[in-house]
Amino acid sequence: MHILGKLLRDNLYVPYALTFFYGIGPATAQRICARYQIHDRCKIRHLTPVQVTALTAFLSAPSNTPDAPVQPVAPPRVNTLRAKPFAMSSLAVKKEKDAQEKSKDPLQELRIESDLRREIRENIAHQRMIGSYVGRRHAMGLPVRGQSTRHNSKTARKLNRVERRN
Amino acid sequence: MLPTLVAQAGRSAWKGPFFVAFPNLREAMENNIPIRTKARACTILPNFVGVRFLVHNGKQYLPVTVTQDMVGHKLGEFSQTRKRFMYKQTKNK
Repeated sequence: MHILGKLLRDNLYVPYALTFFYGIGPATAQRICARYQIHDRCKIRHLTPVQVTALTAFLSAPSNTPDAPVQPVAPPRVNTLRAKPFAMSSLAVKKEKDAQEKSKDPLQELRIESDLRREIRENIAHQRMIGSYVGRRHAMGLPVRGQSTRHNSKTARKLNRVERRN
Repeated sequence: MLPTLVAQAGRSAWKGPFFVAFPNLREAMENNIPIRTKARACTILPNFVGVRFLVHNGKQYLPVTVTQDMVGHKLGEFSQTRKRFMYKQTKNK
């Protein structure tokens, strides 16, 4: 089956097949499957057409996906008459606020394939433009984070370019 | 890259960015005098923009002019500490 021009073989498990996309690892793949109610032993050939269109729509524009459906859980079993009123300290309030801000849907901020590659290229170009150490090391094709350069540093030589190809 | 991420990379948010207060900042901005400093770990704040610094690299003070894009990075990132290897041919063998 082809999704966004990528061939996903029919006999692959869906969470694994999703990791074929640049920018999706095992964790993100599982998250996507959970969102679209695809069980983790589901194979590509067992996907229903609805699921396929949902996945295609999501992968083509992750930022446009609707929010995760809210699944209410049972309230805590506390005797409300006996329980003392629970006063939150200011720190706890702040923490909760932070958590709410942080709890933005991670799938909406997902960037895959060419979008992600462009973002990486832009970040490197930014470093190069302002002339920081990171940018210079990219221009030289050497490791950026203090690794030794006595031997090998093969990955850096392959990847660290200003115009990074992959 | 997110500017906040650059500013706080791995650092607790409640601490805010690490920076050194330069008492002569305004003076330097007005008179265009470079600030001589060894504080390489100091984060570049938005109010540093346009100031010239002389940042120590372990040996000399290298000139760094702060632009808008550098905000969130550290001063030391712009003052190289390593010398490029150059092969020198010996004169007398």
